[in-house]
Amino acid sequence: MEAIKLSKHEHKPLQINPIKLSQPMGAALAFMGVQNCLPLMHGSQGCASYTKVFYTRHFNEPIAMYNTSVSDITAVLDGGDYSILMAIENITQKNPTLNPELIGLCSTGLTETKGDDIKSMAKDVELPYCFVHTSDYEGGLESGWALTAKALIEQHTKEVTECRANKIVLLPHVSMQPIEVEKIKDLCAGFGCEVLALPDLSTSLDGYLSQGQGKLGAGAIGITDIENLATSACVVSIGASMQIAAKALLAKNEKIEHLHFDHLMGLDTNDKFVSFLMQMRQIDPPPFIKRWRGRLQDAMLDTHFLIGSSHFMVMGEPDMCVGICALLQSVGGSVDVVISTVYSPVLESLDVANKFVGDLEDAQKYFKDVDLVIGNFHVERLLHQEEKEIALVLRGFPNYEELGNALKNDQLYEGSTYVLFEVANKLREIRHHS
Amino acid sequence: MVNRAKIKELMNESACSHSKNKAKGDGCDKVKPGLAAGGCAFDGAQISLFPYADAVHLVHGPQTCLGASWETRETLSSYSGCNHTAMGFTTGITMNDVIFGGDKRLGDSLDYIVEHYAPEAIFVYSTCVTAMVGDDIDMTTSLASKKHDIPIIPVHAPGFVGGKNLGSRLAGEAVLEHLIGTKEPSYSTPYDINLIGDYNVTGDMWQYLPIFEEIGIRVLSSLSGDGRVSRIRTAHRAKLNVIVCAKSLITLCRKMQEQYDIPWISVSFYGKRDTSNAIMEIVKALGDETLIAKAREVLARQEEALEARLLPYKKLFAGKKAVLNTGGNKAWSIASSLQDLGIEVVATSIRKSTADDIEKAKEYLGEGGVLMKAPASEQAKIIDETGADILLAGGRSLYTAIKKKISFIDVNQEKKISYGGYEGLLNLAQDLKYAFANPVFKNVSAKAPWEVA
Repeated sequence: MEAIKLSKHEHKPLQINPIKLSQPMGAALAFMGVQNCLPLMHGSQGCASYTKVFYTRHFNEPIAMYNTSVSDITAVLDGGDYSILMAIENITQKNPTLNPELIGLCSTGLTETKGDDIKSMAKDVELPYCFVHTSDYEGGLESGWALTAKALIEQHTKEVTECRANKIVLLPHVSMQPIEVEKIKDLCAGFGCEVLALPDLSTSLDGYLSQGQGKLGAGAIGITDIENLATSACVVSIGASMQIAAKALLAKNEKIEHLHFDHLMGLDTNDKFVSFLMQMRQIDPPPFIKRWRGRLQDAMLDTHFLIGSSHFMVMGEPDMCVGICALLQSVGGSVDVVISTVYSPVLESLDVANKFVGDLEDAQKYFKDVDLVIGNFHVERLLHQEEKEIALVLRGFPNYEELGNALKNDQLYEGSTYVLFEVANKLREIRHHS
Repeated sequence: MVNRAKIKELMNESACSHSKNKAKGDGCDKVKPGLAAGGCAFDGAQISLFPYADAVHLVHGPQTCLGASWETRETLSSYSGCNHTAMGFTTGITMNDVIFGGDKRLGDSLDYIVEHYAPEAIFVYSTCVTAMVGDDIDMTTSLASKKHDIPIIPVHAPGFVGGKNLGSRLAGEAVLEHLIGTKEPSYSTPYDINLIGDYNVTGDMWQYLPIFEEIGIRVLSSLSGDGRVSRIRTAHRAKLNVIVCAKSLITLCRKMQEQYDIPWISVSFYGKRDTSNAIMEIVKALGDETLIAKAREVLARQEEALEARLLPYKKLFAGKKAVLNTGGNKAWSIASSLQDLGIEVVATSIRKSTADDIEKAKEYLGEGGVLMKAPASEQAKIIDETGADILLAGGRSLYTAIKKKISFIDVNQEKKISYGGYEGLLNLAQDLKYAFANPVFKNVSAKAPWEVA
């Protein structure tokens, strides 16, 4: 079998059992992470409908998702202004109690192909309006999410020259689940920081029972917070994809300090994060953080035997893959294959024999060589077809099978501990059978 | 290629209750910006044809179209070869294809599929972007079809031409134009039918097919639940088209009547009465006295056996009242099933139903039944007034049930088991039994310590 190389160019003309997800879907999810945002997809009704069903099934929650319903006629005759303005009017008139505080508009392949001017619309929209170009024949879920965070900052954050000493902004990558964002915020708050995340799904899609859900985005950051984001002393980007959003914020206030992490999984990277916070706030970590670090150390020792003698395949968005690889490799796990949804420069840094952009048809060729696969729910059916018993840990979008996805925590000392145990226990199950 | 004339024709289907009473040119689905809900035409086409497990379904478009939609429907198949219905194939076009055209990529993809998967046929779906940039899908598929000597069928239902319903119709057009009538069946019987519009979700068809077999009704082909391309090619030799719970493929049936003189009937297999009625309608339409007699005998026996098994449930459900809030034909088909189980349906939603569906709902619920036009605001009040015991609705209504402390079943949730036919009715009965017995709805509604005065 010829090895597939990591490249920006595809190695075959089509995808078979794809894992790549589209850019506008990432953008839509980001808008759901803003308080009272009306996520509006500029395209035919199908793009929004697929997106809505996709997230409804992954999160088991009603999803706020609207569309401009571009038809074959408006695709030709309209430059976007009619569809977008009429859509906003129709939606708000039909739901008079909706009261959105922001219109979050993302384009799609259709409207990018016809070249709609989604920018100049701002002057005719009476509400705060944010637009982002997200064709679905470029990029992927991760870039759509990151571009939206960048657009929110570029278009809405005010330029300032002063910082608030204890204010910190987190920019989490798309693969982080709601609870993970909350845990990282809690960590910062533990050091006495005033902390915001953009986007912030921790109060949106986090599996919380309340009334009237799924009409608007319910994220923990509002449009006013976004306007005042540049008064932060520090911006922490998590995931290589989020660097562009951090840069956009630095342009609003050059005094902001930028701290970047490719991921927050494993001991090493979290030590760096915690030592930064100690320096910034000049205090010792709260006891619960120290305690969790000790638990992670213990978990690393407890699990190293099983994980250290096993072979892994990791599939998903680049930023997620990088974190999982680092954690597994820190306890001696052999990650033999990484299949990424899209190309990202961060993949170049991975110490993995087979790393490339691909699909599940490619993955099937490597199944027999590994003990455990980390990937989305589509992997499950394919593994059943294999003769050999291979363990599976479900991560990434979509996961239609398991419940409680929003509350899976893989980050920081605490989450890393849980992941190690989950992986080791899955390995134990297949070892016992064979 | 798809053109305006074809879309207009399909939107003004004379046999469809949506459009038959409307002014000229005022067809089924017309979208207003912002208000189009539900899937697009491509979605509808995909739903209609994907169950052909022996064919590869290649989506020629950018990432959203297939990336988010493959392996989402439990359309079961008994096909013993590589089951393509649970797989996803897409050209996943890039910027380069948008600028220079995607025909080369499409041609290469077809070669790749034939070489590696050797399917019986390939369906190629156009999408908004590839339709708009004008990829010559007809030419590319026709050349590849000659080259590889298998049917390669272009399906022109790009999302922006309309909703799911129109997409299903366009898929029907593709099948009629490219497949039906291209092959002769190995043998024929006077009892050959085509099943149209049952996609065998969770094995719905398998609930009633054994009864067909016992009676002697032969399914010549299916569009497309557990279907085979080689069978649908022979569909022109059937004696009857049977549309199952779906309006969208009426055009196909009307055209098959015109072209091949095949009559059609529309039936439902939800609940005991509807299943029995459906089977009797089929045998009556086939018009063979011995077959009708045989059907009467088989159904009598089946119903008796079913009644015996339903009895414990009926005792359990006696006096129970249900409110139903769901869309389309489910407004009456689930109501009918509930009634078969001895549950009184006090209200049903007709917000998304067609004129025919509303008529049927009226018929099933009778004089006292409430037809809710705005269920979101009406249902809580109706639960209070009628003392309903259970709400069957989509996830958004969960709060109403919790507030009213009554049982709840999410009928819009992707289900894992079938509610179709006689056996399906037992599945529904079991789910209801668990729902009624479950204290969770009462327990979860407890006030928080900080809310208690």
